[in-house]
Amino acid sequence: MELTLEKIRLMPIVLLMIIGCFGLLNSKSILRSLLSLDVIDTATISIFVITAASAGFQTPIVSIERYSSYSDPYPQAIILTAIVIGFATQALLCAVALRLGRKSPMLRYRDLEND
Amino acid sequence: MIDLQIILPALIFLPALLGFLGCVFPKIIFPLGVISILGFAAASLSVLGGDFTYSFTLVGEGGIQFSVDSYSFPLIFGSCITLLIVFGLFANRFSHYFYQICLVLLTALFISFTTVDLVSLFISLELLGFCAFLLVADRNDKKSLFNSFQYLIGGGLAMLIFLIGVVQAFTFTGSFLLEDLVRAPNTALCLIIAGLLTKSGVFLCGLWVPNIYSHANCQSSAILSGCVTCAGIAPIARMSQILTPISDSMIVIGVISAVVAAIYAVFERESGRALGWSSVSQLGIAILSPTYGCIYAMQHGICKALLFSTLHDEDKNSADLSVSHQSQSNLRQSPQELMRVIAFVFASLSIMGFPFLAGFITKNWVKYDLPFEAQLIYTTASLLTSTVYARLIFDRVNMYVQRRSRIESNRFNILSIIDETLSSPKNYILILSIILLIASSFTYPDLFTIESTRTAVVSAILGGILFVSVVGIQADDFVKPVTRTLDLVGAPFLVAALLLANLLYFKI
Repeated sequence: MELTLEKIRLMPIVLLMIIGCFGLLNSKSILRSLLSLDVIDTATISIFVITAASAGFQTPIVSIERYSSYSDPYPQAIILTAIVIGFATQALLCAVALRLGRKSPMLRYRDLEND
Repeated sequence: MIDLQIILPALIFLPALLGFLGCVFPKIIFPLGVISILGFAAASLSVLGGDFTYSFTLVGEGGIQFSVDSYSFPLIFGSCITLLIVFGLFANRFSHYFYQICLVLLTALFISFTTVDLVSLFISLELLGFCAFLLVADRNDKKSLFNSFQYLIGGGLAMLIFLIGVVQAFTFTGSFLLEDLVRAPNTALCLIIAGLLTKSGVFLCGLWVPNIYSHANCQSSAILSGCVTCAGIAPIARMSQILTPISDSMIVIGVISAVVAAIYAVFERESGRALGWSSVSQLGIAILSPTYGCIYAMQHGICKALLFSTLHDEDKNSADLSVSHQSQSNLRQSPQELMRVIAFVFASLSIMGFPFLAGFITKNWVKYDLPFEAQLIYTTASLLTSTVYARLIFDRVNMYVQRRSRIESNRFNILSIIDETLSSPKNYILILSIILLIASSFTYPDLFTIESTRTAVVSAILGGILFVSVVGIQADDFVKPVTRTLDLVGAPFLVAALLLANLLYFKI
């Protein structure tokens, strides 16, 4: 398994994903796991963007000036939906955290799971 | 000639349209919604047994592909019937808000049953997750809010895992179609399957199921078990049909899920949680066979909806709404209670696979479709399922008898009972569903061999005996409810790793 340029480009994202997963599995309070989920979300989106850019970096819009290497518009278009859905999830989770915070303001799992 | 290319997408998006319009005109839209659900149920029933297949692409060349085929019809029929049962039985306790969530949920279900595109699948599953979140949080207390939080964060993570699998498959195949997954690498397949399994609530990924079913409202649990968990079954069945390694791994996961979850259910004291564990076990059976899995999930979904709807007394259900009229309605509602108990017993027997009920047919189909090695464990799982439902029937009947002895004063008069039974529309729904459960078993008479009937009856009796033998074991410290968020969230990773290990090294 040789180290190609594409794999090297993916390295920071894999690191980001590991950080997010570590945070999600080790968080003590609701807010932290919420933020960790956002980190994983960002990592996923970045994977899509970088995969799309593997063919080239130019914006895939046809104009008078033609470039030699366009990036793939298909994954970029599709990831827009995932961005919106991720945002909606975060909003819903924040709303629930707000409601839960009235009873236990620290939002710790230990308090919430044991009753 | 009607153009199916336009009609089918319009039909798929009709419930969501009605749901959103219902926010503005609740009075007009609700009957329309029920009529449209009835129409969907009738239409899918009429093409259920046949091999009608129609594929279409939504926006011309390179658009979103749908395929309406034998995988989708049973599940569409099942979810429509589930929604109708729940609407009918809980009609006086809903806000119009609840109906709208259900209608939007129906569109999400239709998309996930019919799509053959991974990205549309992702979107429909996320929409489904939001609707399920709103249904769980409908009870609006701290516990159910926390459960819905766990569901949403676990489901969101599972869907992100699914998405990573999708992009890895895309880099190898260059498309998002399910049929192109044949050329995808193993890691991508594992990630996609782990996401789907979490949504459909099969064991290890489906640890959220018992918590949520026991704490949500009855009507929400009925919809969750009847519709929402079926959404992952159709894509899994489609994938197992074309990918042999996936169908082999599904047999391993399904068998483990069926047995382990059934053992949990046997030792669980609380009825709601036991039904949840049993649901995990039944869906494990449903993913075993790609051909009949959808029909099995349909039968299980309808029976589970009936079970959750009739699990508690009518009074206990409405206790939080109006305490005052409870005492006076006690006498009047007794025949209705009897009807609910009878429906509960019939639905339980159907899931046990008792002869002359719908479950017998689907259980035999799945059984004959399995490889011989898996049949042994499959039989074990069905025996354990019989034990669970023997206990549930015993508890339910016991509860009813105790309740009757409390209100001893009314005399037993058959005529008045029949009269009162026919006076309530809810009883018609219950009677109709029981008759349908029985009638559907006669559509395939060749399955009623002496051997299979005997096996089913013996399995039910053995289940009863096993129940008597384990009833004394107080297993409170044997089965701890899994409530830690870490366990719920970390499960998809574990399953993806196990699947990868299976595909690369074990090759079961």
